[in-house]
Formats: sequence, C-alpha cells, structure tokens
Amino acid sequence: MNSPLKTAAPGAIVHPLKQPKSASAELSPEMKLVQEALFKHVGKPIPRKEDGRLITGKGRFSDDFSLPGQTYAAIVRSPYPHARINGVDKTEALASEGVLLVLTGEDILADGIKDVPHNPVPSTNFDMKLRAKDGSHAFTGPHFLLPADKARHVGEAVAIVVAETAAQAADGAEKVMVDWEELPFVTDTAKAAAPGAPTIWDEVPDNVFIDTTFGDIEGTNRAFEAADHVVKGDFHIHRVTGVTMEPRASLGSYDPETKRYTLYAGSGGAVRQKNELSKVLGIEPKDLRVLSFDVGGNFGTRNRVYVEFGLVLWASRKIGRPVKFTATRSESFLTDYQGRDLVVKAELALNKDGKFLALRSDNLSNVGGRAVSLSPLSKGSGLITGSYDIPFAVLRARAVFSNTMCTQAYRSSGRPEVTFVIERMCELAADQLGFDKLELRRMNLVPPSSMPYTNAVGSVYDSGEYEKNMDRALEISEWNMFDARKAEAATRGKILGRGFANYVESSIGTPKERAEIEIKEDGNIEVIIGTQPSGQGHETSFAQVVADMIQVPVEKVWIVIGDTDIVSVGGGSHSGRSMRHAGTVMAMASADLLAEGRKRAAELFGSTPDQIEFEGAVFKLKNSNQTIDIFELGRRTRASHGKLRVIRDNEMHTPVFPNGAAVCEVEVDRDTGHVQIVRYTTIDDVGRCINPLIVHGQTHGGIAQGVGQAMWELCAIDPNSGQPLAGSLMDYGMPRSDTMPTFNCEIAEVFSPTNPLGIKAGGEGGTTPALATVVNAVVDALSEFGVKDIQMPVTPATVWRAMNNGRKAS
Amino acid sequence: MYATTYHKPMSLSEAIELFEGSEDASYLSGGHTLIPTLKSRLAAPQHLIDVRNIPELASSIEVTANKVIIGSATRHHIVASSKEIQAVVPALSGLAGSIGDVQVRHMGTIGGSTANNDPAADYPSAVLSLDATVHTDRREIPAEEYFQGLYTTALEPGEILVRIEFNIPEIAGYAKFRNPASRYSMAAAFVSKHRDGHIRVAITGAGNEGVFRWTEAEERLTESLTAEALEGLTIDPSRMMGDMHAPTDYRAHLVAVMTRRAVQNLGGTHIL
Ligand SMILES: Cc1cc2nc3c(=O)[nH]c(=O)nc-3n(C[C@H](O)[C@H](O)[C@H](O)COP(=O)(O)OP(=O)(O)OC[C@H]3O[C@@H](n4cnc5c(N)ncnc54)[C@H](O)[C@@H]3O)c2cc1C
Repeated sequence: MNSPLKTAAPGAIVHPLKQPKSASAELSPEMKLVQEALFKHVGKPIPRKEDGRLITGKGRFSDDFSLPGQTYAAIVRSPYPHARINGVDKTEALASEGVLLVLTGEDILADGIKDVPHNPVPSTNFDMKLRAKDGSHAFTGPHFLLPADKARHVGEAVAIVVAETAAQAADGAEKVMVDWEELPFVTDTAKAAAPGAPTIWDEVPDNVFIDTTFGDIEGTNRAFEAADHVVKGDFHIHRVTGVTMEPRASLGSYDPETKRYTLYAGSGGAVRQKNELSKVLGIEPKDLRVLSFDVGGNFGTRNRVYVEFGLVLWASRKIGRPVKFTATRSESFLTDYQGRDLVVKAELALNKDGKFLALRSDNLSNVGGRAVSLSPLSKGSGLITGSYDIPFAVLRARAVFSNTMCTQAYRSSGRPEVTFVIERMCELAADQLGFDKLELRRMNLVPPSSMPYTNAVGSVYDSGEYEKNMDRALEISEWNMFDARKAEAATRGKILGRGFANYVESSIGTPKERAEIEIKEDGNIEVIIGTQPSGQGHETSFAQVVADMIQVPVEKVWIVIGDTDIVSVGGGSHSGRSMRHAGTVMAMASADLLAEGRKRAAELFGSTPDQIEFEGAVFKLKNSNQTIDIFELGRRTRASHGKLRVIRDNEMHTPVFPNGAAVCEVEVDRDTGHVQIVRYTTIDDVGRCINPLIVHGQTHGGIAQGVGQAMWELCAIDPNSGQPLAGSLMDYGMPRSDTMPTFNCEIAEVFSPTNPLGIKAGGEGGTTPALATVVNAVVDALSEFGVKDIQMPVTPATVWRAMNNGRKAS
Repeated sequence: MYATTYHKPMSLSEAIELFEGSEDASYLSGGHTLIPTLKSRLAAPQHLIDVRNIPELASSIEVTANKVIIGSATRHHIVASSKEIQAVVPALSGLAGSIGDVQVRHMGTIGGSTANNDPAADYPSAVLSLDATVHTDRREIPAEEYFQGLYTTALEPGEILVRIEFNIPEIAGYAKFRNPASRYSMAAAFVSKHRDGHIRVAITGAGNEGVFRWTEAEERLTESLTAEALEGLTIDPSRMMGDMHAPTDYRAHLVAVMTRRAVQNLGGTHIL
C-alpha cells in the first residue's frame, strides 16, 4: 500500500515498532534490577499521599499566594462577538478611586510586547501534518495579550485595570470607554466555513486556514465503487468547557534589582508557561520564574498560556508592585479555553457480508477567534478508523476561525469526537443493513495478530486485544440478561436502552522529560520532575515508582514539581503522557543512580561494581557480610564524590494506543424524556498499571466528563446575537454524583512494547467512548419511536422532541 | 460586588426606619438569591438590611389544628426536617427538602423565596395551592392577591414579610421536573385537596407570568381526584416560558405530566 501520509516528507518516518530490533536495546544490569523491582511491586492500590493535605485546606492553589504590596487586576472584555476597536478612553477609569494603571492593545504594541507563541500545529514525528489548502504552513492568527485592532469573540480581553483592591479594579474596568464598531459575526462551525461568511482574519478571507487531505484517495474511491453498501452520517460533536473547580488565577511580580519576573499560576506545566511567556515579554527564559503547585482541575483548559498571565507580569513591571488576577466563574465560562466543536460528514463502504472496505471523513474543527491548539483535529485525524480494520480511508481535515472563544485540547483531545463518529456509524450501518450491531463490530476489529497495526491514515497501533476487551465488557455488563431488566423497567413506565462502544486512542504528548533523583542526607529521596498534576495523584504514583525501584518505603520519596527554578525541563501533563514519560525517565534515572551507587560501594569495599549486589536499599559485596545502605553511602561518599544524585533526560516520540470498550444502560422516562444512566461498565487497557486505585479514580472522572458532554454540557450561543447563553452553572448542566451510577470498571493490561515499563495511559479512556456509548443507549431506548440518531446533549427536551417526531412519523 | 453598607436591625421598627431613611436599600435574608446577584454586579443597593434577627421573623414553626405557621427567616432545611410539618403536610416539607443543595437549604429562607417570587422557585406553588396568608409588618395578604407576575408581589417598597400561614389540607402532593443545569423547577405542580373539599392546583417553573393556578385541572380533579381525570387535559404553550432548556411546548407538556404525578403522589413528593 502507498504511504498514506501523503503530505509528510516521503520516507521521513520509520516507525520504531516497524524497525528491526537493534542491539543497543539490550538492558543494562541496573535497568534490569530496576525493572524487576518495579514489576514486583507496582499495581498496588496505595491511597493518595496528597489527599490529607488537600482535604484539610492545606493545598497551595494560585489564588492562595499573596505578596507584600500586592495590587489587583480586572479585565475589560468585549461585549460583542466581533467588533472593531476605534479607540479606548481611559480617563474616567484612571480617575476612579484606587486605580493605578490601565493598559490596552495600543500599549502592547508601543511596549513591543509579543504575541503568545502557541505553536498550535502539532509537530512530533507521529502527529498528522496539518497545512493550509495550498500546502503551506497555516496562518493561525496572532494572540496578543490585548488586541489593538478588534475583538473576535464575546469576552475577549481588551484592557487591564490595576487598582489597590479587587473591587476598585472592577469599578475601574466599568469606566474604561471603548469605542466599538460592531461587525458581522459568525459563531456556528459549519456556517463559519460556508461561502460568504464574515471574515475573522483578513489573511484568511474564507476562515478555513487548515485544509489537508490524508489517505489513499484512489484506493478509497475504488473501494467505494466496489462496495455493496454505503452508509452516511452527519455529526456535530458540540462545544463544551472544562468547568475547573478552581478558576484560573495568576500573581505576577517584577524585581527591578534582579530584573527577574515571578509568576504564580496554576497550569498544565510550568516550563511551557515560562518558555512562552518569556518570549511574550521579550526576555530570557531564565529571567522568569513560574510556580505552579496545586491545580484545581485542568482537563486541558490550562495547558496553554492565558493572556492574563502575561498581563499581570507586564503590569507589575509597569507599576513596580505585584499584580494579582483571579477569574470569576463567569469569566471562566466565557474565556477558559474550550473543547471539542467538530463537525463531521462520514461515509462507510461495506461489502454484503458486513466487512468494512473504506471510510471517508470530512472533519471540520472550530478553533474560535484564533488557533491556540490544533491538537483536537490532529489527534482525531489519526484515529478515524477506530478499533476497526478498514483498509482504505480518506480524511479531509479542516480548521476554521469563528467568533467564539478559542478551543484547545480538552479531556482526551480529539479522540471522543472520532470515536463517536465511527461507533455511531457502526450502529447506523447495522440498523440500515440489518446486521447485529455487535457482530458487525466483531468481524471488523483489528485482531491481535495484526499488531503493530498500521491504520489507513498511517497511525501504528502498538498493541491490544480488542475482541477480548469487547467480550469482557459484555460479560461483566450482563449484556445477555438485558431483556429481563428491560421488562422490569417497563413496569415502572421506563424504557431501558443499552449502548456499546469500542475505542482506541493515542497518547503522544511532548516528547521530552527530565528526572532528577537525589539521595538526601536526612534519609529522604527527592525527585524532581516536569509533569504537573491537577488531581491525578502524581505525588503518590510517582513516589511509588521510585520507592519500588530504589526499594525504600514510599513515605521516604518526595516529588518536587511546579517551580521552574528547580524544574528546568518538563513537558507538563497532557495527552495521557505523564506516567509514561515520567515513569520511563524515572526508571532510567533510578538505574543511573544504582549504577553510581554500585561504583561508590565498590570503591568503599575495595572491589569492582560487578561484585556489588543491591537489595532492600542496601548495597552488599558478594560472598561477604559487607553492606551499606543507600543513605549511608550517600553520606559517606559525599565529601569525595559529591551528592548521590543523578539527572536523566529522555525523549520518546513513539505514541501508545490505549484501548477498551464501554457499555451503558439508560432508563428513559416515557412521559417526560428524562434520562437516567443506570449501569456503566468499562474495560480499559492502560498498559502496565502502576496504581489501580488511582487509575480507577481517573477513569471514573473521565466517564463523568464524557457522560456530561453527552447528556448536559453545552456552550450554547444565541445565533442572533452571538452571545453565550450558558454563562453560569444556572444554564451549563454538569454531571452530579446523583446522576451517575456506580461504575463497573476493569483494567486490562497489555504491555506496550514502546517503552521499558510497558505503560500506555489511563483516565482519558473513561471519556473517549462515553459520548458514543450514551448516545447509542439513548437511541436504542428510543428505537420504538423510530429514532435513528439524536444530537447531543441528549437533554430531556431533546429526547422528548425525538420521541414526539417519531410518534408523529409513525 | 459594589460597595454597600450592612445593617443588622433587632426590631421591625428599626428595620423599617433604616429602609425609609436610606435612598437605595434592600432587605437581606438568607442571601442565596441576593448575594449572587450582587456578586455578578447585577444589583447595587447601597444598604443591606439583614432581617434575620428581628424576633417576629425569627426561625419558627407552629402547627395548630388548622394551620402551619412559619416565620419568614426559617431556613429550608428546618422546614424539610420538621417532624410536625411532615406529620400534617408532607408535601410541604418534601418541597423544602427538594430546593437546591445542602448549602442552599441551610441558608435560604422561606421569606426570601416568597418575597423574591422567582418564576422557577418552589415555595410559591405551596403558598398558592395551600391558600396561605402572607403576614407582613402592616397587613395580611391572601396568596391569590400576593403573586403578581415574574419577580413581582403585592409587597410595597419597604414592606417586610413576617410569616406565612398555610392551611392544613386533607391531602397534598408535589411533583417537580428539575432543570438539568440549575435544578430549579422547569415545571412543577402542587395539588391540594382542602378540608372543605376544594382543590387547588398551583404550577411553578413554567408560566410566563410566574406561579399560577391551573383552574381547568382543578375542575377535573374536583370531579375525581385521580390522574385519570386529567387524561387529555393540556395547557396552552403560549402561557409558558421558553428557553434553551425547555421550549414552550415541552413545558406545557411537562405541566400536564407533573400535575398527574402530583395526584399520583398525594401525601408526598415526586422529584425528577
Ligand atoms: C445554587 C442555588 C440553587 C437554588 N435552587 C433553588 C431551587 O431549586 N428552588 C428554589 O425555590 N430556590 C432555589 N434557590 C434559591 C434559594 O431558595 C434562595 O435562598 C431563596 O429563593 C431566597 O431566599 P433567601 O433567604 O436566600 O433571600 P435573599 O437572597 O436574602 O433575598 C431575596 C429577595 O427577597 C427580599 N427579601 C428577603 N427577605 C425579605 C423579607 N422578610 N421581607 C421582604 N423582602 C425580603 C430581598 O430583599 C431580596 O430581594 C437556589 C439558590 C442557589 C444559590
């Protein structure tokens, strides 16, 4: 088959799993030791170390920090979806009590403050290469901290007001007079890409700034021509937002003596914030220190730089005092980076037996007023064929500007979207052509014997036993006993429906990670790592990994994160990368540490390293009773050899493909359309599982987030005014504990061959199939009304309307 | 929130004096409607007069032979957990227990809710259905005259709601369909059969003029207090509110379903 990566440099990429094994892959004796120790111990459900601190109010969230002489910022935001800024009058605001400073987009330009280098196009070797229509690098819309030309969405920051108190800043912000000129706007994804839509950026008159086609066009055309059946579907995986419990906050300060800036701001990774914000300010990265400790929810919304982070730094230099900004819940709803918003047209070709022959997919991603990240489009692009062996596929991937808040990678970026499409297509095909929906899936699954499997758009699935997942999910969900449950529900006026979905997703993430491990004199071990937890329990699971490898109690291991003066390299936490990248580099660093320890012990004992054994944190000279524990060794050799400390860098580009299956059962109230989920079952192949307690917790949260999108969450916008309609929790529906069933989750461990620990990723697998599973279940329940498809979120009103239309039609 | 001055009067007269002496004042009870409004800068009273320490309004529940009398500053959770109310009008305590969440029920008050008359609030339906009397610092107002449209009541500027006297019915039921986001009612029905036999059906959450009596349903239920008696009865969607969560036709449909369910659950509540 031709290389499907048509737009990539030909022959540039040879997937490591497709290369012959090289000799250098041999493990060092220390690495063997480390692996043996690790594999003996991991998989223990150790309770989280950080919980005591967090539930007793001892967390350190961004807004908990204050500095002497601190001032407060409020932001002036655009009330219009699209409007030119003809001028800004600061006079009244500056005269307002307590106001110290007002800055606008004009000041940005005058001060030479640069745009945020979001670098939105994913660029690892295995990311899909997204380009403009003519193949050139795309124009992605500069993101200045404050625009000088126009506002491109409701809520866009256009001025910052700094005052002595937060209330005075808010008062001042109301007195900034912007001379607005309203412009025609477009917020809807499909309409933004339609001919004649208002132009968001003059550089891209038709708003479509990415238009790339992947796959074997001729092969796909031939397959469609030869097909017995073609099934079509139109989908909109709608816009949602993260609703983190902690609104974003930042505290910036500038020290004129050292000319250094400090930023306290919770994010998905402090190192990225440091690198990008230093470019914005036009300073060396070393002149900016970023601290990010506890983070109250991220889900992707915090991975990218927010304009307020740069604004507080810039303003603090201007006034010589620290400046703090804490978003309100309304500001979070308007201007947190949002998620999803993908419109898909798909066509599936099948032969008469139900074998999938080819897929065509036209995916259009709404990035908002400018491109912050194309990760959702790109991630999904590589997975359009899902868990199925579809020999030919063509994908047209487009991205469009609109007058909405920017989108970003959001919980399992891009993958729930395409999983939704392929799993809905399976249902539509089964229904239209009369196949059993499970058998149709089963016959098309990628078999384990094909692993590593290259899909029709070039993604290489590393490993997995998809059919086994499917069987197990059906078994533990008691799929076969459904009829009895349905009959019982009917006696209560409820219609029971069931939905099934397979999924495969990919985890790539920033390739570089560094670990530093030090044996401290006080008997503790300090680990410095550049990932950033926001509830995932790294302080426990990472400590657990190092403790197991160095064979000490987990209480002795301390994970240091989130201060760029200490953590110099680090990819942050996104895309399910943390355990795999951090786990691998920590294993390598541990091996280095043991190698160094053996060398030092050998010297002490007057022997050679190969005569030194290591067990239970103790080095021992073979066939002797000479021993020394690792902490004592550190103390004894400090003067001669320095601290017992290692630094290890690692770079891993090869993606992993977590996979699994989910089953959902819903009860629909016949009279009202109310939907209650009554059962939810998942199987997740996360590769090697370090701490099942934490993985289950992450999966539960992931399910709730996926179910939330399917059932309630929606960033609704009034088409007539362009105004967001769900600006608070009064209108933005969230999953709640009483609307979630007890989850029935199992972990499957098929070790990934791509990394020494065999890790894939966990958590996002809860979200990825959830949209499809819920909608499949609701459509199944409504089948008696002739319902074949339904738009998310499946709110009571939507379900009632679907039942009614069905009733009328029949 | 804009700058404002907080006052804590200890008597009715002091509260009224404060109100009349200031240009732009607002009474404050549990604050669970007013404070969020202030925080989002949608209102800017210069004076907040906290009524919760006034003895006449104080948290209190009195059950007599015919009446349940509740002081204005009584919080929802007190009503929800009152054994005396549970014994005589379980639909009323059940209604209070269905409001918001635990925090809201421990701060919000019956007086604040009734004074505010949010079209999606729960209490107005009970006040109307149970033929309650609203007692203020200066007069008594029958429920029929009290509610006057969205967020509008018969209360004059500065008038303080002191207590509410509910009639104990022969039996009552409350059924509510919650808004999936806010969890306020999207359509709810409070159905009462009074001791003299008359029926009251009050609908909240749905009407475009706020809480209202559904008299056609009352007539049907007077014939026979059964869900079957309501069969085929519909309400005109043009009387309904419509929004992104429930267009008018869906709300009209829910009103009919919730009224049937209130009848099916007389002596209790049905919350969806
Ligand atoms: C998250 C949330 C969820 C909620 N969910 C629900 C729900 O499901 N159902 C529901 O019914 N309600 C709900 N509420 C509203 C809640 O019940 C409020 O507390 C209540 O409506 C107002 O009562 P309050 O005591 O808080 O009044 P306040 O907020 O203090 O006052 C409300 C208004 O009444 C006036 N006022 C107060 N007391 C008096 C008085 N004695 N005399 C004259 N005027 C007075 C005030 O000036 C103000 O205008 C919710 C609130 C929140 C925050």
